[in-house]
Amino acid sequence: MRVLLNAYRGSPFCGGLGVYLFYLSRELAGLGVEVDVVVGPPYPDPLDEWATVHKMENLNIWMVRTRSMPYETRKRLFSPWNFVDYLLTRFHVFPEMETFSMRSFFYLRDLLKKKRFDIIHDVNTLGWGLLPMKGYGIPVVSTIHHPLNRDRSADLTMDTTFWGKLTTLLFYPLGMQRFVGKRLDRIITSSYEGVEELGRAFGIDRKKISVVFNGMDVDLFRNTGEKREQNALLFVGNTEDHKKGVHFLFEALSLLPEKVRLTVVDEKKQNASGLVKKFGVEKRVEFTGKVDHRTLVSLYSRKTILVMSSLYEGFGLPAAEAMACKTPVVATAAGALKEVVDADTGILVPPGDAAALADAIMRLLNDAGLRKKMGEKGRLRAENNFAWPVAAKNTLDVYRDVIAGFRSSQ
Amino acid sequence: MPRAKIWGFIAVFLSVFLLAFVIYAIFIGKNDHAIPVDLNAIGVMTYYSMAAPLLLISLFVLGIGFWIGWTIITIKVVPPMPEIVEKNDYSKIKAAVLCAVTLAAALMLVYGFYLRAYWALAIPAAVISLVVLGAVFWVGIAIITTRSTLPKGKEES
Repeated sequence: MRVLLNAYRGSPFCGGLGVYLFYLSRELAGLGVEVDVVVGPPYPDPLDEWATVHKMENLNIWMVRTRSMPYETRKRLFSPWNFVDYLLTRFHVFPEMETFSMRSFFYLRDLLKKKRFDIIHDVNTLGWGLLPMKGYGIPVVSTIHHPLNRDRSADLTMDTTFWGKLTTLLFYPLGMQRFVGKRLDRIITSSYEGVEELGRAFGIDRKKISVVFNGMDVDLFRNTGEKREQNALLFVGNTEDHKKGVHFLFEALSLLPEKVRLTVVDEKKQNASGLVKKFGVEKRVEFTGKVDHRTLVSLYSRKTILVMSSLYEGFGLPAAEAMACKTPVVATAAGALKEVVDADTGILVPPGDAAALADAIMRLLNDAGLRKKMGEKGRLRAENNFAWPVAAKNTLDVYRDVIAGFRSSQ
Repeated sequence: MPRAKIWGFIAVFLSVFLLAFVIYAIFIGKNDHAIPVDLNAIGVMTYYSMAAPLLLISLFVLGIGFWIGWTIITIKVVPPMPEIVEKNDYSKIKAAVLCAVTLAAALMLVYGFYLRAYWALAIPAAVISLVVLGAVFWVGIAIITTRSTLPKGKEES
């Protein structure tokens, strides 16, 4: 099978999109699939070992003033799609997905003269360019981890000025994603909660959505054997993202005994700084800043419990990573978290309830036997459900199904 | 001189010339006999081929403005979000003004289009031209007035 992966960003060090592209392309290649990747910057350097990489230009000029752009960027602004990018970004629109998909569409026109593909797999772009791409006679599927409505709602809820709300509305290309998403051959999402969410937000027919759980590197994320710390909680995530519900995390900490400490894997940013002060837990919270994978695995292996206080999660990767490191989880039953964490591997509480979060943490801190049992079962669950080879195999099954349906309808 | 700078100069001269031309033709020289200000004097096909694209683009932009205002007015603050409860928020009032202004502008535009009024076409044409040419001018100036940050050997000739 020949697959074309299409992603507007590609570096595994710059976000989930790049991580997804890196592991999925590697595992698909391992299953004998011929993989080509059309990708925008930051580019995925090491993919060449198992895939053919086609690099698209993108100047990344959103929120960059013209006078602050490097000369090398400025002199590229007059090429057609870069100028479209430039004009739209001046009005606070985020056009990266639109222009990437159009560049990709025109690039494919030439590429298809030399190569054929059985399927095009777009990763989270849902740009206008995917619709004319269907005219090439190849089925097009897209992965959406969660619709951006959730992010937009969270931002709008926190914007207290007219200008803030206006720029938020201009930023998210929801109209485009809704229009394009409904017209693709299949949507892949990472949870059953996501199926409902996509149906509600984008009006996508549930029958056109397939669930493939997110993958993770279970060889990298495994218990290091370091000694477990006592009464040590861990939180991994962006504290500025209001969907993470850090307000309730710090409130829950203030309800727990003084000896309970929290490590936050993130920079100490404005929102979190204000909240730790508000709840009087400054001395009990440590911020690590950004950490590399080795340090993260070590933290998962050493801390007593991972806590996820989210109000919504499209998947909840930190929970799966902690489980792979034999660390029990206390999480909210928000979004897809209830599909990642089950009763054998952690405790689920209602989202937005600091008292329930504190109670669950206390119950687990007081029961070493339960923690150990949950940790062991967590590792098993991660290996069987969230490993990349499993995700790649399930994705390949979706490809086969889509291709068979597409060819029978021709 | 690097090729990019040559393009920068061309962009600046061309955009300044066209900007001056647009402003003169639309606002100053409109009473010259050479310019057909009376749109009723031109044929139906000619009028609609010019006016319809301009009207659609203008309504699209005004529609976005109205949609933004309407969305802000109808946002429901999702509980629980205790961080923002105490903050004053006047954005709904401003959003209502935005809705009213964009709606009024759209109605005036459609009415002007129906009457074949000169300003119903001239103002959108001027705004679109000024935004695009202004961007070309600004990028051109930015290219002309800066030096390459690449090492000397790697600069283009």
